[in-house]
Amino acid sequence: MDRNFVVLGVSLLVWGLLFVWLLRLEKRVRELEKR
Amino acid sequence: MVLRLLLFLWIAVTMVVALLMAPLVPVLEETTRVLYFHIPVAWLTVVALGWSMVNSVIYLVKRDLRADDQAAAAAELGLVFCIAATVSGAIWAKAMWGAYWNWDPRETSIFFILLLYTAYLALRGSIEGEEKRARLSAIYSVAAFVAVPFLIFVVPRMYATLHPDPIINTRGKVEMDPMIRWCFLSMLGGFTALYVWLQSLRVRVARLERASLAA
Repeated sequence: MDRNFVVLGVSLLVWGLLFVWLLRLEKRVRELEKR
Repeated sequence: MVLRLLLFLWIAVTMVVALLMAPLVPVLEETTRVLYFHIPVAWLTVVALGWSMVNSVIYLVKRDLRADDQAAAAAELGLVFCIAATVSGAIWAKAMWGAYWNWDPRETSIFFILLLYTAYLALRGSIEGEEKRARLSAIYSVAAFVAVPFLIFVVPRMYATLHPDPIINTRGKVEMDPMIRWCFLSMLGGFTALYVWLQSLRVRVARLERASLAA
């Protein structure tokens, strides 16, 4: 397999996980701000 | 939410174009791809530490703890970006120059910046009392940032360096293949937007922490 695809896959996975984590964190912060 | 999703797509699409379609720089070969991560995080190091300094000045003038929250969050994020730039730079150095660390002027500069801002966070952690912590940290942050432009922009131009020309070269021009330039600027914009989001989140968390301590 072309190594560029491997690097791209890992990069997209890391970015995706970071993005989802940030969305969840923001949701939690919003909930705490409402209290 | 729409803006967040746009940011996700913006960076993801740039990654695809940068890794699969953009040409390689002849000297750098396959390592060209590190450029799209290394330079944006190095740029954000300066932006975040500069924002920390600006808010430290605002705190010293207005004595408003919201400015201290901004300054502390920016210094933390600046340090994270600085570590990311150091690690990606070390990997790039290994591939290009044969060793992870060469005490090149830029490497030495970034090492001092890491020390300066690790000390800033240690200082914040060691002082009891919000007002005193904010005041001393603000003074330290302003003093520390005086060294940053010198370390990043002056020192590497004074001594022989292994690093290539800066992006804006000595003739004052950006000389890049158009597609590489598009990917680079797009990643720079995407990372800057990501920083704005991270900064706002960190500040909100800091305010929640203060509210919980006061309760």
